[in-house]
Amino acid sequence: MLRYLRLFGIQLRTSALLGMQYRLDFVLDALMTLFWTASSLVPLVVLFHQRSDIGGWSWPQALLVVGFFTVLRGVIEGAIQPALQNVVELVRKGMLDFLLLKPADSQFLVSTSRFEIWRGVDVLAGALILVWALVELEHVPTPLQALSSLALLCGAVVILYSIWIAVVALALRVVKVDNLTYFFSSVFEAARWPAPVYRGALNFVFTFVIPLIVMTSYPALAIVGELEGRAIFFSLAGALVFALAARLVWLRALRSYTSAGG
Amino acid sequence: MRILSAIPTMLRVGFSSAVAYRAEFLVWILTTNTPLIMLLVWSSVAREEPLGRMGQEELGAYFLAALIVRLLTGSWVVWDMVFEIRQGEIAMRLLRPVHPFLAYAAENVAALPLRALVALPVAVVALAWLGADQLSSDPLAWAFVPLSIAGAWLITFFAMAAIGSLGFFWESTLSVYDLWLGLFFVFSGYTVPLELFPPEIGAAIEWLPFRFLLSFPVEVMLGLVDRSAMVTGFVAQWLYVVLFALVAQAIWRAGLRRYAAYGG
Amino acid sequence: MLSVRNLVKHYRVHRRRPGLLPALASVFRRRYTVVRAVDGISFEIGAGERVGFLGPNGAGKTTTLKMLAGLLHPTSGEISVAGHVPFRRERDFLRSIMLVTGQKQQLLWDLPPAETFELNRAVYEIPRDEYRRTLAELVDLLDLGDLIHKPTRQLSLGERMKCELAAALLHRPRVLFLDEPTIGLDVTMQAAVRDFIREYNERHGATVLLTSHYMDDVAALAPRVIVIDRGRLIYDGSLENLVRQIRPDKRVTFRLEGPLPPVEWARFGASVVAQDEARIQLQVHGGRLRELVSWALGQLPVADLVVEDPPLEEVLSELFARRHEEGE
Repeated sequence: MLRYLRLFGIQLRTSALLGMQYRLDFVLDALMTLFWTASSLVPLVVLFHQRSDIGGWSWPQALLVVGFFTVLRGVIEGAIQPALQNVVELVRKGMLDFLLLKPADSQFLVSTSRFEIWRGVDVLAGALILVWALVELEHVPTPLQALSSLALLCGAVVILYSIWIAVVALALRVVKVDNLTYFFSSVFEAARWPAPVYRGALNFVFTFVIPLIVMTSYPALAIVGELEGRAIFFSLAGALVFALAARLVWLRALRSYTSAGG
Repeated sequence: MRILSAIPTMLRVGFSSAVAYRAEFLVWILTTNTPLIMLLVWSSVAREEPLGRMGQEELGAYFLAALIVRLLTGSWVVWDMVFEIRQGEIAMRLLRPVHPFLAYAAENVAALPLRALVALPVAVVALAWLGADQLSSDPLAWAFVPLSIAGAWLITFFAMAAIGSLGFFWESTLSVYDLWLGLFFVFSGYTVPLELFPPEIGAAIEWLPFRFLLSFPVEVMLGLVDRSAMVTGFVAQWLYVVLFALVAQAIWRAGLRRYAAYGG
Repeated sequence: MLSVRNLVKHYRVHRRRPGLLPALASVFRRRYTVVRAVDGISFEIGAGERVGFLGPNGAGKTTTLKMLAGLLHPTSGEISVAGHVPFRRERDFLRSIMLVTGQKQQLLWDLPPAETFELNRAVYEIPRDEYRRTLAELVDLLDLGDLIHKPTRQLSLGERMKCELAAALLHRPRVLFLDEPTIGLDVTMQAAVRDFIREYNERHGATVLLTSHYMDDVAALAPRVIVIDRGRLIYDGSLENLVRQIRPDKRVTFRLEGPLPPVEWARFGASVVAQDEARIQLQVHGGRLRELVSWALGQLPVADLVVEDPPLEEVLSELFARRHEEGE
């Protein structure tokens, strides 16, 4: 376990050094990320200019959803997506074998192979939005509320990571898969809005199949103490199921990759 | 102008190319789902009472029309240009006796049938769901629809070509495009119908170029503008077309001079 | 057909030390160094000539070719190609030249080459029946067969290069610039490309200017060579003369039937280049070749012998080395 923590540190450091190489570009990237985060608040602002709630969610509550969404997008763009893109690149150049030769868990190596630190500014921006929303609500979360929403956020990261790993597993078979990540990113945009926007079948899909609602609306409810303990428990259990399924898919894909002989 | 005779072949080859990339193409088109999300968002808000003159059905028609216009006016020339300039492949284009803008335009327009293929079901769904009531009943408006969509495409194309030409000067040109796209999302009516902005801001937004990329053709299609506003809007749109074409050509020429001085 | 007078190309290269502060500082005050990529060269090439363009890496070959093709603007000097000033990029000029490089391609990657050909027919405004004739001829000469209907990405590097040549020649350019056309190709494919270029030149009288790292290309294709080094022209003339001038020596290889007794080769002014049980290769001045060979045939167990010029690579590296020693 400790060994993997150290490995994680080394991979992170390598990426940071890589990032430093082109720092002007990366600072620019970070600025663009902030610009996008700010500009995508505009529809929300206009909407609440017209109305006082969306399906019972007030402005600061909707802002909480945006906050969690922004944090998660920072994680995706800073950690999950770069690693995936890197793997697709490695598969294309036939260099994945080198990575698989290393004496450590392949899934771990694949998922920590590249970070884009500057894109991670969204995590900070999201945190700021959360603070802003809490100030507007005049609500100080109790330790239990804070802890449960943090747990749900971690669960959300696990779910996102699992979905992406499944996509990488697909990349071992179908090389031109990187477009799929754009597709998933665009679907993930739907997580920016609070749950009542999605009704009927869509609500079911976004809760149980691609659990976008669980990822952003649930933590937003939990932090103000409006989510039942049962929902929290099932969300975390669901995250675990996603992780196990992703592990299985990865191992299967790896088996067929190595037996295919590249 | 003799070169115009080459256009049919350029379009045909461009079409074959688009067909060869159909899988990627389809995924790219499927990523254009923002209008659908915004449709859900705005109609959930308008459920109890309409926003101004826009009720649930009007918003539904608006965002489906926005999706159709977006699908028909898409272009990807900025990525091609930035990539080719960086890789030096632009040289192969410069050797040919045809302006690269024309070649890029042909490649992009050639993909239109595929895009239309996706836009068509959207239109059918919209008609089946909302009926023809939401559409403009003015025949003059329908004469303006194709023209305003063509104008929107041309502004998109030349804006991209201008930003792509910056690639001759600067490697991180795509950040500039990101900036443009961010403004587009906010000010073109893509995520917020422009009439829902507070009036003081709305009046200014109306004259930014972004409205003419998306909102204007949609307004014409749905009859949200009267005849005189339609004509002035149309004139403004085509003035923007000319302006962006001139800017793109100016940056291109300056870029070419620089390229010729420093090499690829 | 092609004339170059006092051609100069200087780049101002922006020098920047690594790090954030120097990067910021450079926004305000930039330091430049001037790189003299091409520094005053002149030559003329007549219609239908095949000329090899030689020089070490960074000598200015590609820069010169790009200026000739109108991609780069000269700092000073005059260029005329097929009666045009290249950098004006007039349509008639672009239609009478072509640049083929081994590294960049014009074929559309995911479509069959036939589509690129068709595109070029339209863009270069080639009349249909002329196009059909030219294409048939190129397919025949290059032995393309069905290749032109397979997607480009499925072709081997060599097949791709042949299709690339066909695409470049459909409009029958009068001047053809070839920049490393055989790079990365295997030996048979190199020979095929080489034969084709010569055949094309002889049939259509196109002027060919070629750079290559493979001296075999140059030796096989170009009776005349232009050599540049550090942006300056250092030789312009026949290949034969160049070799004779720089390295008047010959290589003699004897195949031996038995063990070789000790020999004092120095008395013929010769030295051993390579030796094993069955063979010995010697280097000797052309003037004493006869003396050496007749002695060896009389005294040594020689089964067979071959006399060659020294390899072109060596001739060139000696040429450059000499110039650099002279302090140029």
